[in-house]
Amino acid sequence: MSTGIKHGALFATTVEVACTVNGRPVLLLLDPRESLLDVVRERLELTGTKKGCDQGQCGACTVHLDGRRVLACLTPAVHARDADVLTIEGLADPDGTPHPVQQAFIDQDALQCGYCTPGQIMSAVACIAEGHAGDDDQIREYLSGNLCRCGAYPGILAAVRQAARATAEG
Amino acid sequence: MTDPARRVPRVDAADKVTGRTRYSADHCPPGTLHAMLVPASVGRGRVVRVETEAARAVPGVRLVLTRLDPEQVRSPGFPQSGSGYGFQSLQPLLDDRVAYRGQPIALVVADTLTAAVEAAGRVDARYEAEPVAVTLDAEGAHTVVQAEEFPGIRRFADIEVGDADTAFAASPVQVDMTFDFGPQHHAPMELLATVVEWRDGTLVVHESTQNTGAVRHGLARVLGIDPARIEVICPQAGGSFGQKTWLQPHVAPLAVAAARLGRPVKFVMPRKQTFLATSFRPASRHRMRLGADPSGRLLAAIHETRSQTSRHDLFASDYPSITARLYGIGDFRGTQHLTRTDVPTPGFMRAPFEHVSAFALETAVDEIAYATGRDPVALRLDNDTATDPVTGNPFSSRHLAECLRRGAAMFGWAARTAEPGSMRDEDGALVGWGVAAGAYRASAAPGVARLRADAEGRVAVDVTGHEMGQGLHTAVARTVALDLGVAADEVRVGLGDTRSAPQHLTAGSWGTATALAAVHAALRRLRTRLGVPDDGPVDVAAAVLATGRPEVAVEAVTRAPGQSPQAVDRLHAGLSAPAGPEYRGFSAFSFVAHFAEVRVAVETGRVRVSRVVSVVDCGRVASPVTALSQIRGGVVWGIGATLREGSEPDPRYGGFVNADLADYVVPVGSDIGRIEVAFIDEPDPLLNAPGVKGAGEIAFVGVAPAIANALHHATGRRHRALPIRLEDIL
Repeated sequence: MSTGIKHGALFATTVEVACTVNGRPVLLLLDPRESLLDVVRERLELTGTKKGCDQGQCGACTVHLDGRRVLACLTPAVHARDADVLTIEGLADPDGTPHPVQQAFIDQDALQCGYCTPGQIMSAVACIAEGHAGDDDQIREYLSGNLCRCGAYPGILAAVRQAARATAEG
Repeated sequence: MTDPARRVPRVDAADKVTGRTRYSADHCPPGTLHAMLVPASVGRGRVVRVETEAARAVPGVRLVLTRLDPEQVRSPGFPQSGSGYGFQSLQPLLDDRVAYRGQPIALVVADTLTAAVEAAGRVDARYEAEPVAVTLDAEGAHTVVQAEEFPGIRRFADIEVGDADTAFAASPVQVDMTFDFGPQHHAPMELLATVVEWRDGTLVVHESTQNTGAVRHGLARVLGIDPARIEVICPQAGGSFGQKTWLQPHVAPLAVAAARLGRPVKFVMPRKQTFLATSFRPASRHRMRLGADPSGRLLAAIHETRSQTSRHDLFASDYPSITARLYGIGDFRGTQHLTRTDVPTPGFMRAPFEHVSAFALETAVDEIAYATGRDPVALRLDNDTATDPVTGNPFSSRHLAECLRRGAAMFGWAARTAEPGSMRDEDGALVGWGVAAGAYRASAAPGVARLRADAEGRVAVDVTGHEMGQGLHTAVARTVALDLGVAADEVRVGLGDTRSAPQHLTAGSWGTATALAAVHAALRRLRTRLGVPDDGPVDVAAAVLATGRPEVAVEAVTRAPGQSPQAVDRLHAGLSAPAGPEYRGFSAFSFVAHFAEVRVAVETGRVRVSRVVSVVDCGRVASPVTALSQIRGGVVWGIGATLREGSEPDPRYGGFVNADLADYVVPVGSDIGRIEVAFIDEPDPLLNAPGVKGAGEIAFVGVAPAIANALHHATGRRHRALPIRLEDIL
């Protein structure tokens, strides 16, 4: 049986990985050193996910892996095997209706340059789903892994509050 | 601005929340190769040997460049020396010299990013290292007098009004303080990114920049080709704050590599390199002497500075410009020195000079308030002036007193007890309330707006200006929309594109004033061409149809007040041509008053900035939604600059030791308390037709001293250096 792995000397040089990305089945032949971030951006051309540091310090690359928020820059793409990957491009309804968190970011002007925004939103969606959006301090704390150099934090707080309330009432 | 119909949301927000906005690194033309730089690991010296064999052996590697041909590649020049385009004059890869740690010594291009990263890591270099000087006091650092280095250039000259030394000596109340400000880095979230591609002899560059014009003309100079063969495109930068002001030195080598390989090349600079190989806010030291009479009337100020620059360029400073003008001080002297060190050339970072000058002045003013027993707000109001003390001309508009009064009311300042340590919160934490004012020159540059309307009713405008998050896109769309009575999100706005309008540096808070002046003029022209009245809603489709043409296109070229036509020539050459703050017959500044509340835990000394109130005089507010975010963001910057951010020079090996986002600590959400913002929103009558001054820089000026003055109020301790860390509190 083929493992889908090609070996150089001792270690694999290419690995075959099947997963879904935004609900679409994807088959990838990967260099095991490739990060999930570089693969979604450079191979799948889903460039909404951003590279802000490439070392897990800024949160701009946040995506969901099987429903959990992960830093795509620290996630080897081979870890996506058989998993569901969700990026910012897959968050809105298929009919184009923005996700409530996306709408809240627009309503509260929770962004400026927009570069950290996809990561902020992916984190915020997870933060609400985790039950970590109970009050302002909790929202601030559970989103503090996502840097915003423009300083849109007051708007981000208001947006997550709005979306959490809508979800609770939903 | 209170009319909800005029509350135009950020027009590009929907694209930004869905990931549709395309930043430079998001371009991936077919066949794109990936590049990586190899940074020098010594802080100064000579490259003796570069071993590239192992790098070339990595599968997928196409090119390893260690030296460029000086016949093909030249220095871009340095803007402050007259007519340059580079953030520094030094062009790496031309010789064996290393001027700073992190200077590129090789460029690798490969089929994949993984291969490029691996190969860059396999380039091995040997150096002859020399001792480095990376701080103001280091042995080998060399200090010069700025005014002597730039003879005859007014904006770099000393400022002298009256006889400050005599007036200070005679002042009954004197404050004499020395301040130290460390270097800082812009750290925009977007990494520097370049995609270069040769298309039929034309160099197409997607570059993250706030100055596509300088990238275009700078590349033309460096590569020796006609600027007509270069297109530079950056409709959206992911933050910049001054980092992306001029041509970066790696862009020309990327173009050379792309030409040699006949393929597009993409480079995204690793975060660490952005701390080592780009510009930064220089370290500076300020001696501030301030004299007053017993009533707190300010009599004299002497502001002497020494600021860091590189060996290869003099980054001239402009520190006393606001200290001379924030109050009506009759006798003033400002003198500036520059100290050469082994670093890449420092540059503009948000309120480059004003942020630290305001800290020095506004801390000294707070000391005067305590020395004279005056309330800090009342003392500032008493020293207000309608006249620019430097020129004797009136300010075009100045609502600083109103900012102070309104801010005091919003903040509840009247409840403050003056004695340090006299206020506590319900948890027993020390509470401190502080105030500081700020000013920032209201500049403007020449601008071009090309406006088109068609028989379908569509309106499009291409303008001089770049969008970096500050909201220029929205301000332009809103201006056109409110003028013609169309929907803002239906106005197509083109920014940051040398193909559609000549591009000037967007910085120094002149972007909105520059672009809107041109857009306003173009709208007047369009109305004339359409034969419609000069104001009121327009049925665009009907008006265009009535002309008998499918489309009506107009162009307006505007200049700042009093600017000569040569300023427009400079715009077309990619050179910068901002005017201000001194104009014929008036001076123009934005003003702000910040009020800060800090809470200091008595057990741990932990400082929280629980509340900031900021009242801003930026002329007419061109886009209320985005301006509010811009001011809040400036306050967040102020909190970071006061309590968190400092780049730590490495005196052993050069460069900075905290060269990443874990160690260069910027504010996170849980650092930020309540931020309340109000605008005066009075149009400036002289600067431009829309009445706009600037908002992005003034938002940040004065936040740090407001917080530090609040800390003094909480603890009785005076702070003379930034950032203020826990060990400075305890």
